[in-house]
Amino acid sequence: MKLGAIVMIVILLLLMGAGTVQQATKHANTNTPEAALRSFLDQVRAKHWDEAYSMTQPGAGVDKDAFVKDLGGNNGSLKTISSLQNENTKILRQSSNDADIRAELQWSTAVGALHETRDFKMVNDDGEWRVAWPAAPKSQAVAKALPTTYLRWDVVQRGSAKDEWGVQNVEPPRMRIISMNAIENQGDVVILGEVVNEDTVPGFVAINAILLDKDGNSIAEESSFDKISHTLLPKEISPFRIDFPNRKLAEIKSVRISPTNILVPAAADPVVGVMNQRIEKDQDGKSILRGDLVVQGGQTVNIPHVLATFYDRTGKVIWVSDGYVDRALLPQQAVPFTVNLRDDLAGQVQNYRITVNYYNSNRS
Amino acid sequence: MLSISPVRGYSPGKASTTVTPALPMAAIAFLVLAVHGPLLLMQLPAASEGGSTQIFLAQHYAQSWFNPWNEKWFAGFSQTGYPPLTQQWVGLASHLMSLTAAYMLVQLCVVILLAIGTFRFARLWVDERSAGYAAIGSIFLGSLSVLVYQAGDLPATASTALAINGVVYLYGWARKARFLSLLKGLLLLVAAATADPVTAFFGTALFALPVIVAAWMDHGDRDVDADRPSPIAVLIRAVLMLAIAGVVAVVVLAPFWPSFFTQHRLAIANGSRDNFLLNFSSAVNYWLIPMGAVVLALPYIFLSGLAERRLRPLFFAFYIALIFGLGGTTPVARIVLGRFYESFSLDRFTFWATLLALPILGELASRLIERYSIKASIGLGVAAVLTFAMPLAYMAAHPANTNPFRTDPVIGFLNRDNHDRFRYLTLGFGPQFAEVGAGANASTVDGDPSAGRTLPEVAAFGVTHFDAARNYGSDGMEALRAVLKHASQYGLKFIFVRDRYYEPLLAFAGWRQVESYENGNVTLWSKEDVPPARKIEPTTVIPYLERMLWGIVPVLCTLLAFGLILVTPERRRTAETIPFPTAETTPRMQEAR
Repeated sequence: MKLGAIVMIVILLLLMGAGTVQQATKHANTNTPEAALRSFLDQVRAKHWDEAYSMTQPGAGVDKDAFVKDLGGNNGSLKTISSLQNENTKILRQSSNDADIRAELQWSTAVGALHETRDFKMVNDDGEWRVAWPAAPKSQAVAKALPTTYLRWDVVQRGSAKDEWGVQNVEPPRMRIISMNAIENQGDVVILGEVVNEDTVPGFVAINAILLDKDGNSIAEESSFDKISHTLLPKEISPFRIDFPNRKLAEIKSVRISPTNILVPAAADPVVGVMNQRIEKDQDGKSILRGDLVVQGGQTVNIPHVLATFYDRTGKVIWVSDGYVDRALLPQQAVPFTVNLRDDLAGQVQNYRITVNYYNSNRS
Repeated sequence: MLSISPVRGYSPGKASTTVTPALPMAAIAFLVLAVHGPLLLMQLPAASEGGSTQIFLAQHYAQSWFNPWNEKWFAGFSQTGYPPLTQQWVGLASHLMSLTAAYMLVQLCVVILLAIGTFRFARLWVDERSAGYAAIGSIFLGSLSVLVYQAGDLPATASTALAINGVVYLYGWARKARFLSLLKGLLLLVAAATADPVTAFFGTALFALPVIVAAWMDHGDRDVDADRPSPIAVLIRAVLMLAIAGVVAVVVLAPFWPSFFTQHRLAIANGSRDNFLLNFSSAVNYWLIPMGAVVLALPYIFLSGLAERRLRPLFFAFYIALIFGLGGTTPVARIVLGRFYESFSLDRFTFWATLLALPILGELASRLIERYSIKASIGLGVAAVLTFAMPLAYMAAHPANTNPFRTDPVIGFLNRDNHDRFRYLTLGFGPQFAEVGAGANASTVDGDPSAGRTLPEVAAFGVTHFDAARNYGSDGMEALRAVLKHASQYGLKFIFVRDRYYEPLLAFAGWRQVESYENGNVTLWSKEDVPPARKIEPTTVIPYLERMLWGIVPVLCTLLAFGLILVTPERRRTAETIPFPTAETTPRMQEAR
């Protein structure tokens, strides 16, 4: 009786031990640089910053606060509402003392999946591999007062329909599509173009497109979604891109574009400047548009969204690309951004325009 | 101290040497009323994780019994993706009272049925008094409290209660070949499957296997059966009954299986699958609290369950359920459940483990009370009450809905000024998502993921509950993006946001905040260029016969089963008999005066 009970308890304990050891070894292996990096990223995924920080190289001058801000974000940036989803690691170079590992990180964010390529330097610290975290440069920003002189449009009378947004009972601002181009890309049909607000008041614009076949029947309907800057100030231009997955240009007779525009309140502040923009190759040899974003005024921008319009030598829009920046823009501080460019188009690009859209948590 | 000697394993029909009055079933039913009645009158499960979903689904049966196409979720979906029994009963009862009250009434009936089933199941293993204590124990189970008041899992509790009662008739049929036992057992097992087929499958297996082994072991017991059926006959009859029940359930639930087997469900983090040794909060929530004072009795269950040969099948079933209930602490559940593991909540195995332990615990209670009388009664009473109260206290400290709010303004908005011409979406409403669905006339593109419908746009990402899209990681957010991109096609104009996490996506996608409710806790976002919603025709046509079976058989099975049980009650001893002549080995000398 007692022997049987002891045997059953031992089996249960062995099973528990097996499950625990299996899980513990999976999460705490620092025998190889790749395993140590995976363990580190597991802690990042779980947002266990203390544990992750303890896996960095001691004495490398890494400020813990800066480390946490780098990985977890701050100032309401996209990183603050992101979590690491998956990672793929590849050893670039390894010696007995150190190793370079490239990690393809997939983040789950509030605006969808974001992909980041990051190179990690691993160092062997008495047989235990650690992450050599680069020390963040100290900010030299000095506090100062900035006057705000930008324009702002308020809607005084909203009309009787309290549940509706915008102003329905006045004529909407004049918006015009100034260019449009339909192309085929990797099995998808893509409608590209630009829209301008020709009025003297700000407006909200969204663009829907319907593909029509040879008989005039609708075969697909899509919208510009986030590939457009929806709020346009007077004379402001925004690119737009509408993707139709799994369609061919050959099956399309025409495209029906239906922009929706409406008068809305808006402000010109914050103005985000784009500096040092240039097209170059990234570490994998892919074409990218790189630059820095700077807020000209005194506001913080929580989540910037960069829209890039690429033109050929005739001034035709040949591609529209976009990317979210996972760091917040603090006043007068440059934050780098990158936007992908199709390699097959890189040679044709003669000019480009960058538009910065943004979301602020205190107002949308 | 109570010595841990072999328990007096009870063989049905075998005389016991103890003369103790049995607890009347009516008293047990009244105790259920006294304990669960007030909590259900307070409608505690209405705020649980699954309660409002059940009420929403029941509302459709109340309005349209034989038409499973419900337009309120997923822009239109078939309710055949969800097993129907409990919702149909709630829907039926709602013709006499409110839907929420009907839900509480059905839940109360289920708890009573569970206590009766526990008594009858325990009676197969221990004497009548111990079985009575087991039944009382079932009322105070922490795992039951978690399922009823925290998870709002009416289908799982109903399915278990029906299955445990059905399994008792399996014993009668296998041993005695009583046709009525076969009929009652079949009806109950089919009803259990129509309440929750997954629970019925695993629950029936865990409860039926020890019963079949016990019936097989009892075949040679002269005291039990005069006719002594052969072990093969016992086995064949048991397998026959389970097979018939399985076939009938498969046929009745025919519209359910395609979505069950073909849907790719996204895994969502669930603490029941954690390693409890590495994650203490999951251990507390998913194991310690459901187990309650049963944890203290584990050594006794191990020693006693293995000591008596006849109790061993019961012990092994308990042991398996215990291991599965430990979630990711052992590798067993992951290996056995395979691809279903990530979409499985393993806390119901702990529920079954505690139920399977009850006969042994009833025996323990009986012994303790016999030996220590009032002291033991008080001690056991306190342990039972604490076990029952702990989940409620934990729930109060860690509510599923951390910040409950009134959904009336949201429902009011959707039901006025023709707003129901458009579809809507809620983000971050949690358990109150279904509450809006039940109250609003408008349709949403979202729905409970277990209902099994997927919009074509999000099929590639797997079944997602948009309301909790962030919990599914990047696949969930990409699925949400995909459906927002097609807002115009679905007439999706209004989005109610209770979690600011989603605001950046809405802002970049062209929605703008137009209103706020509940002091800014809930905001309404709207999009201008969305046309009114077009009606979506049913995506799958369910044949007439299948719809009739779906609408009639589940409720009919329960009605027939309870009718038969009431009309043809089984003979039951009300007191234990003393063997005569008494089993004295040595002659007794008595002086005559």
